[in-house]
Amino acid sequence: MAAIVANRLTKTFTARVRPSGRLSAIRSLVRPELREVEAVKGVSFEVEEGELVAFLGPNGAGKSTTIKMLMGILQPSGGGASVLGLDPSRERVELSRYVGAVFGQKSQLWFHLPPSDSFRLLGAVYEIDEDDRKWREAELIERFGLAPYWDVPVRKLSLGERIRCEIAASLLPAPLVLFLDEPTIGLDVVAKREIRQLLAEAARVDDTTIFLTSHDMGDIEKVCKRAIIIHHGEVVVDESMKDLRHRALSLKHVGVRYASPVNLDLPTLSPVKRTPTAASYEVDTRKHSLAEVVRALASRGELEDITIEDEPLESVIAAIYSAGSGAEAHAFGSGDGSLERLDEASSDA
Amino acid sequence: MRSLRRGSRVYAVAASTAMREKLAYPGNFAGSMFTYALFVFIFSRVWAGAYSGTTEIAGYTMRMSVWYFIVAEVPSFGFGRFFWTLSRDMKSGQVAYLLVRPYDFIRYNFAEKFGGSLVEACVILAEGLAVGLMLVGPPPATASAMAAMTRPLFLAASLLMAGTLNYLLQMTIAMTAFWFEENEAFFWIFQKFSLVVGTLMPIEFLPRAAARIAVWTPFPYLSYAPARIAVAFSFSDALSLLARQALWIAVALWLARIVFASGSRRLSVNGG
Repeated sequence: MAAIVANRLTKTFTARVRPSGRLSAIRSLVRPELREVEAVKGVSFEVEEGELVAFLGPNGAGKSTTIKMLMGILQPSGGGASVLGLDPSRERVELSRYVGAVFGQKSQLWFHLPPSDSFRLLGAVYEIDEDDRKWREAELIERFGLAPYWDVPVRKLSLGERIRCEIAASLLPAPLVLFLDEPTIGLDVVAKREIRQLLAEAARVDDTTIFLTSHDMGDIEKVCKRAIIIHHGEVVVDESMKDLRHRALSLKHVGVRYASPVNLDLPTLSPVKRTPTAASYEVDTRKHSLAEVVRALASRGELEDITIEDEPLESVIAAIYSAGSGAEAHAFGSGDGSLERLDEASSDA
Repeated sequence: MRSLRRGSRVYAVAASTAMREKLAYPGNFAGSMFTYALFVFIFSRVWAGAYSGTTEIAGYTMRMSVWYFIVAEVPSFGFGRFFWTLSRDMKSGQVAYLLVRPYDFIRYNFAEKFGGSLVEACVILAEGLAVGLMLVGPPPATASAMAAMTRPLFLAASLLMAGTLNYLLQMTIAMTAFWFEENEAFFWIFQKFSLVVGTLMPIEFLPRAAARIAVWTPFPYLSYAPARIAVAFSFSDALSLLARQALWIAVALWLARIVFASGSRRLSVNGG
C-alpha cells in the first residue's frame, strides 16, 4: 500500500511586487501589484510503506513546500495528497498522530532544559502511557547513544548531539512516516555519518517510511533507495538510487602518468587535461570499451601510474539542477544525452 | 472522563515544562524586576506630587493609587509579552512544528506560554508587595475580616483571568501574521490602549465619556479589574468584574479560534 500519494500537487503563492520610484511606491499602498509564484507545479508520485526516498532539488525547487503540503501545514492550490490514507489538508491533526518530522534548521527541544524534559512533554503530546514512554525512551537512548547528555540542557549540546536528540524525539511516538528536511545541515562528516546510520537503522527497526530532503549526496546515497528530483516545481527524475548511480557509473575518469613524454591522443579519445607525461580522459563506457582504452594507453609507453574513477553521483544531479527549465530538466532527467550535458556541467563546475 | 484527563494531561505537562524552562534561568527576571521597581518608585513620586494639597482623586487616596499601580503593572510585566514569542514563531516558520502535533493549537500554546509567564507574574507580584509595603505601607483595608480573607482569592482569580485575556488578545493580534507581513503596529496600538485604559491609572481618572466607553472594551479587564479588587474590594464589585472578565475571555477565545481557523489555511511558509 502507498504510504504517500501526491497527485498533481500544486502550490501558488501570491507575492507583492516591490515598485520602483516613489510615486509607484505610494500608488502600491492603495493598489498593490501582485504576482503569482508557482512554487510546485502538479507534482505526482507514490511512496510505498517502508520505502526510503530522497526528495531532491536545488534551492527554491519546491521541496519544502511539497513536504509542508504533505504534512497539512500548507493548503495545496491544486491537486491532492494522501498520507497513510488521510487527506493532510483536511485531517492534519489526525495525521500528526502517525507522522514525525525533523526540520534541520528548527528545533522541537526546549533550549534551557535537558532532552529528557522534551521527551516527557512529547510523550504527553502523543498520549503515550508512562510505562510505554519510559520503555521507548530507554530504547532510543541506547540506539542513539543519548545517555551522556540525557540530563544536559540542550543549549550546552553540540549541533550533532542536538540533531541526534531531534531525530530520536521525532521517533518517540514510533511514526509510520518520517519527514526529514535537511537533517544533517551544518554537521561535520563524523556526525553526518552517524546520523545516516541511525536513520537507516530507524527505518529497518521500526519499518518507518522515510521521506528525506537534503543537499548532501552522502545522506541520499547512504540512507535512500529511491530518488525523486524536483526542479522548477516539477518532478524531473523518479528512479531507484541504483539506476541513478548506474547513470553516473557509465562515465569514468581515467588518469595516466608515463615515465617519458608520449603521444597522448587516442584515435577516438582526446585527453581533457594533459602534460607531456600525464593526461586524464573522460570515458563514456556506452561509447568506448574501458578495457580497450586502458589497453591503448598501456601501449603508448612505460606507464608509471593509472587510475580509474567513477563520476560522482553529485555531478549527475548537478547537471539535472543546471537545466534552465522544467522541460529541459525532464529531458535531461530521462537520460537523453545526459553525459554530454554532464560534461558541460562538470566543466562549468 | 478518563479520556478528558488524558487529553488535558498534555496541557498540564506543557505548562509545567514552560515553568521549569523559565526557572532554569532565574537571572532572566532581573531586568523585569529592576524595571518594575523603578516604575513603581517613579509613579509613587508622581502620585505624591499629584496628591499634594488633596487627599482623594476620583475616590482614590494616594495609598490606593500607588497600590493600584503596583497590582495593575503585574499583568503587564507578567503576561504582556506573549505577542513577541507568538509572532516570532509565526514569522520564523517554527509554527510548522507547532501545527503538526495532535493537540488543540490554541490550548497548547496557552499552556506553554502562560505556564512560563505565570512564574514571572508571581515573582513580580511578590516584589510589588515588598516595594509597596516599603513605600506606602500595607494595602488599603477592607470593610470586614471576611472581605480581608477572601480578597486574595478574588485577586488571584482576577489576575489569572487578566493573564488569560491578555494571552488570547495578543495571540489573535499575532495571528494577523497569517495575512500581514508586518503586524507589530497592531500590537503597538493594543499596548498603548491597555496602558492608558486601566494600567497607568484607574479608569475613574479618565474623562467621564472616555471611561463610559472604556468599560465596553476589553482593556479595563487586563489590569483595572485585579487592581480595583486589590484597592477597593467589595464582593459585588469583585463578582461583577470577574464576570465581565469571563465574558471577555469567552469573546476573545471565540475570536482567536475564528482567526486561527481562517488564518492557518492561509499560512505561507516558503523555504526550508
